[in-house]
Amino acid sequence: MSGICRPRLAEERKQWRKDHPFGFYAKPTKAADGSMNLMDWEVGIPGKVGTPWADGLYKLSMTFPEDYPSKPPKCKFTPPLFHPNVYPSGTVCLSILDEEKSWKPAITIKQILLGVQDLLDNPNIADPAQSDAYTMFKNDKHSYEKRIRQQARENIPK
Amino acid sequence: MTTGGRSLHPEAILGSKHFSRLKQTKVLLVGAGGIGCELLKNLALTGFGHITLLDLDTIDLSNLNRQFLFRKKDVKQSKALVAAQAASAFNPNVKISPIHGNIKEAQFDVQWFQQFDIVLNALDNLDARRHVNKMCIAANIPLVESGTAGYFGQVQPLLKDKTECFDCIPKPTPKTYPVCTIRSTPSQPIHCIVWGKTYLMGQLFGEDEDAGNELDDAEKQGENAQEIANLRKEAQAFRTVRAALRSPNEQGSNAARMVFQKIYNSDIRNMLSMTDMWRARTPPQPLDYDAILEGTFVLVAEKDAGVMNGASNADNGSTATTNGTGIATANGATANGSTANGHVNEDQAKQQPASSLKDQQKLSLRDNLVLFTSSVNRLATRLQSGEDTIAFDKDDDDTLDFVTAAANLRSVAYGIEGRTRWEVKEMAGNIIPAIATTNAIIAGLIVLQALHILKADFRKLTDADPNNRDVDLSKLKNVHIQIKPAVPLSAISLSRPNPNCGVCRDTYVNVLCDPGRTRLGELVQAVVQSQKQAILQSRQEGGDQGQGEQGGMSGEREEEGDGESEDWAEVSVYEDKRILSDPDFDDNVEKTLESLNVGRGKFLAVVDEDGRRGTVVVSVGVLPPNHPTDAPPFILPSPMPIAPRKPPPPAPAPSTPPKTLLKRTFDEMEISEDQEPSAKRAKLPGGKLHESRLVNSRLPESPSKRKTLDEDGVVIMDGPMDEELDDPGFVIVQ
Repeated sequence: MSGICRPRLAEERKQWRKDHPFGFYAKPTKAADGSMNLMDWEVGIPGKVGTPWADGLYKLSMTFPEDYPSKPPKCKFTPPLFHPNVYPSGTVCLSILDEEKSWKPAITIKQILLGVQDLLDNPNIADPAQSDAYTMFKNDKHSYEKRIRQQARENIPK
Repeated sequence: MTTGGRSLHPEAILGSKHFSRLKQTKVLLVGAGGIGCELLKNLALTGFGHITLLDLDTIDLSNLNRQFLFRKKDVKQSKALVAAQAASAFNPNVKISPIHGNIKEAQFDVQWFQQFDIVLNALDNLDARRHVNKMCIAANIPLVESGTAGYFGQVQPLLKDKTECFDCIPKPTPKTYPVCTIRSTPSQPIHCIVWGKTYLMGQLFGEDEDAGNELDDAEKQGENAQEIANLRKEAQAFRTVRAALRSPNEQGSNAARMVFQKIYNSDIRNMLSMTDMWRARTPPQPLDYDAILEGTFVLVAEKDAGVMNGASNADNGSTATTNGTGIATANGATANGSTANGHVNEDQAKQQPASSLKDQQKLSLRDNLVLFTSSVNRLATRLQSGEDTIAFDKDDDDTLDFVTAAANLRSVAYGIEGRTRWEVKEMAGNIIPAIATTNAIIAGLIVLQALHILKADFRKLTDADPNNRDVDLSKLKNVHIQIKPAVPLSAISLSRPNPNCGVCRDTYVNVLCDPGRTRLGELVQAVVQSQKQAILQSRQEGGDQGQGEQGGMSGEREEEGDGESEDWAEVSVYEDKRILSDPDFDDNVEKTLESLNVGRGKFLAVVDEDGRRGTVVVSVGVLPPNHPTDAPPFILPSPMPIAPRKPPPPAPAPSTPPKTLLKRTFDEMEISEDQEPSAKRAKLPGGKLHESRLVNSRLPESPSKRKTLDEDGVVIMDGPMDEELDDPGFVIVQ
């Protein structure tokens, strides 16, 4: 782990504890030995109000590489999400999470999560990651929305 | 030869008074490889009295061209042991103690490092370099770091609190590729190679991803059944193929054909169905197993040709008949024949490129298919005979054949140029040529830098004025080999430590303890209390008194009336990547270090949550053997080094590396000429970037410039705004 990785993640955690956007959660995962793994976070992203994604809280795992923040974390919906930019494995395809595109070491965890939240209702059709959601989004917006609302209902936090 | 003649040069550098001390000098040399062999020879001939040589590796045949202390008879022996034996003959006055082991083992703890006068790194990986750097910082032992990559090389002396440490600047790391490029839209050969090596290899021969279980869980939680069914279908396709590869009943080439049809036909068709993706990109072409074997497959991109296919078919005329049967069995006609076919194909793959340069020949589409089938069969056979998983290894021919063929087939589908097996080995295996001459030059420079450090140390011991060490530091240089015939070596003055470094700006405290009896909370409390007391004491004594070397920042003064009680009000405790406790998480405070897997050689980072004080890093050592069992389970050092006051953090986003570090091209190897020498960076090929520490830049003497980011805004922008957002919080001083 690089010299800046741990202090940065510790700082991110501290900042998040102090203040984070309403409805979100983000915390390092607990390991079997009772410690928490700073490199692996559990995250919840709420769907925006006024969109078909509303009311759902979508679970995501965030894995930080050793070279963070030089390299971005990997974000994966668990379970995988029905969305044109989410791979069947759940991995999110988003420019700010792409080292060659828009990732910048200064981007905070908060900004990433808000970016993913924004992606939910604004899929990027030029970079589809799963054919099912992509095809439905392209050909049948009505059914797509219905499907998204259904998915939101299934993801209402208990 | 008399020792007088031999010692002429070192004596000239050190002076006769200091030279006589060289015999008592204890050196730790980490690594007995390319640089290590050269360096060990130099150290022995220079007359360093006691050399401890450590290496975990054994000698490989491919080492012999440059690691000249080894002979063919030594292959598979310990590098450290053989090198020590060979070099001992060079100078009987030198004692070389070899250790065949890993420098990261717990026994090589801070106390162990403290027995040496100087540590010299001759390592080949980032992880071990970071480890030794940290140990030398914790033990306060000077380190000379070095590395070579092809014709480039660098030597860098690292002195705690005086110069930057190895981790003061983020290191360029192997290039990674975005998942979208690898999975959906490759445009270069390397994208296909990475896909074959990491994605496909893992999907077929790696561990079964528990995607299925995740879906089961989702179903139990009552999530949309149809959606799950779709996702399961996707996962299922790979599972069927995986099962076929592992089932001894399934005939080999049949499985290979199945794999082929899935990844080069149906997956590509599926990809094509996402039409938007191909608006601005060339769409891939699905491949047809049988048509390629029969030689009837026509690439869209090569309508007028058939040149490649045609030629290769002519070459393969003699084997056409065997392949004819191959197709029949592949279609499932006869079970026995199919097994035979697997062998035929395998032989073919071996025979075909039988010339001495077979690895450097471009394979035709059909050759690639044949190689694909044979390598899948070989790997499947290995799975069936008990191997759990198989991962890519450049020296494992089966996996290299598989990745070569798989990548080339994908390249064909995407209209990308193919690569030879040789090229794939280099790209997938991240191979950088090792040049004996570079190693020899670097090993020589290491000795010169080491002598300068020791001379400063010797002066400090003999002279009344300990500040002499600082004077002599000017002789220490960061030396690079550069491609400039007129100036082959560039020597740069050393930079000061990065004030935000998460390794060398911490305050190290060696605690001797019994991890089985020491509770986390007790230990942390004792350290914090001791910090508070030391701060109070230094304040009463009026200033910097009691603040040792480790206290770091010179001239720091405790401000009166600043309320010392606020220092260390709340703490977080980390061990490497683990959070052991923080103000909202106290589950572990009653646990023993042992139960938390914290033992000898580990570090506990105790962080002042409000950031008022620097981090205290506790290194865990062992209690002396005579320590009574009823005495406290740990001993704190006395005096306790004080963690310095930190300036209040200006902005939430901590320091980040300069952008230039992130923009590298994979197949270029050059030193950029457009920068000042002091900020010169090397661009190196991906894989072993970390092998050498070629990146060097001046660090800020002034506080980092920081800008507040739009806290709630999402940052997805291009163009002029980039400058604004890119603020690294970290400035290159030209």
